[in-house]
Amino acid sequence: MTVREFLSDRLSRIALQLICAGLAMLFLYATGTQSGVLVILLLFLLMIFAAVQLCDFFRQRTYFRELEAILEGLDRKYLFTECTPPPKGLYERQLFDLTRRAGQAMIGAVSDAQALQREYREYVERWVHEIKAPITAARLICRDLDGNTRRKLTAELAQIEAHVERALFYARAENPEQDCLLRQADLGEIAAQAIENHRFLLIQSGVRVETGGLERTVYTDEKWAVFILGQLLQNAARYRGTEPIITLSAKSLGKQIQLIVQDNGIGIPSHELPRVFDRGFTGSNGRMRGGSTGMGLYLCRKLASFLELDLRIVSREGEGTAVTLTFPAKENLTKM
Amino acid sequence: MQKIMIIEDDPPIREELTLLLRNEGYLPFPVTDFNDIPAQAVRECPDLILLDIGLPGRDGFSLCAALQKSVSASVIFVTSRDAGMDEVRALSLGGDDYITKPYSVPVLLARIKAVLRRSCGGPEPADVLEAGELCLSLTKGTVSAGGKAVDLTRNELQILACLMTRFGQIVSRADLIDALWDNQIYIDDNTLSVNMTRLRGKLAKIGLPDAIRTRRGMGYQL
Repeated sequence: MTVREFLSDRLSRIALQLICAGLAMLFLYATGTQSGVLVILLLFLLMIFAAVQLCDFFRQRTYFRELEAILEGLDRKYLFTECTPPPKGLYERQLFDLTRRAGQAMIGAVSDAQALQREYREYVERWVHEIKAPITAARLICRDLDGNTRRKLTAELAQIEAHVERALFYARAENPEQDCLLRQADLGEIAAQAIENHRFLLIQSGVRVETGGLERTVYTDEKWAVFILGQLLQNAARYRGTEPIITLSAKSLGKQIQLIVQDNGIGIPSHELPRVFDRGFTGSNGRMRGGSTGMGLYLCRKLASFLELDLRIVSREGEGTAVTLTFPAKENLTKM
Repeated sequence: MQKIMIIEDDPPIREELTLLLRNEGYLPFPVTDFNDIPAQAVRECPDLILLDIGLPGRDGFSLCAALQKSVSASVIFVTSRDAGMDEVRALSLGGDDYITKPYSVPVLLARIKAVLRRSCGGPEPADVLEAGELCLSLTKGTVSAGGKAVDLTRNELQILACLMTRFGQIVSRADLIDALWDNQIYIDDNTLSVNMTRLRGKLAKIGLPDAIRTRRGMGYQL
């Protein structure tokens, strides 16, 4: 609030005061008061008016600054009216009351929505755990089938599992604090686990997996990192070329560790590259091949940002794709 | 025969596990009455207990504590929850291993075997495989036939063992690769071909050049 804003707001009131003072002066002059006395009286009046206005200005400005500070300090800004002392003036208090009632209605609506969302998340998690029982049973039953049917069904089951896994992590990504635990982990083990999880897809796709230099320590959440790497492996296997090779290698970058997932697959057209992390973006490869959800890389980026993991992708059509994951150095982690 | 108690509330999984373990040469005991499981365990006295954490009525963790008090069997937790805390809790409660659903059959069997070997020092897995004229020693890594023997590498050994356990059946290339895949060692199609050629060469040395037949488009057959 500037002085000018304050004055323009008070313009009518100040004008009224000046007019009244002028009229009083005229009246006194007409009734024969000496002009010297009038000037002193006028000056005195003007000083009182100015002092009152100035006082008002400073009081309001302090009050607003206080409010600003309260709002600034609030984690959830919509709780503002609950945390501020009510103003003293009648008019302001009534306005404040109205605002507070509107605010309370919104707080109610927000907490209802949050409760619903939490319930939904819990349901998705429970559902994911429940669906795993029939998948396990189906896998065990598959064993009795003859080679070809078994292979086909196992492939479908692996697909179902991959979808279920994505659903679980989608639900988890909404409240990452509850699941994500950053700690020391072995990069080699993360890679081995991710490869093992997608073993069937990789073998059936005839992919040659090469690993090198993965014996390093990173600071991350193991499960989440395995999931992210798994998405990358699935993409590499799915969009493979002839004689597919996936190479997992790591190198140090100062105190950070970089994991590079390189494939020699069909690659991504350069104009689509900036959008591959967008939610639901499938691209020409995905549309051509079918079965693409556009969720894998979106989730990767979402989870990666929480792990403070830098995720970059370079690709050349017809030559392959390389995804670089840069794990943060221990010192730079804010959530350890 | 080692007895494995299956505590699992999902009937299809329970039945299939029973079948699977019976085929693998164990003596499975599926629990169908979930009241007073510790008493059943005392009666049956199993070597290993496969315990589902998400049981109706009772939490698998408290059940594990009760079981540990009454019998000396090893416990493998099976669960569909994959929260890290569960794993820590399961292992700190005296579980010997922890597997999340959906597990793959080979992984489950390998874990069971490992835990049994660790806990009971039980009989070593069959050291010698025999099929047709071939005799394969898994610990020595040699194959012999008609008095002649030859050393095999890890991959050759695995390939031959896989073919011998399914003697007479056609084994697809994908299944062979699956059997060869191990932590950190990822075999691809070309490597399999190379190993297969070497294996045939070695079998030729002991007088069985045509032991492994190629079935075009289907796989290999011993």
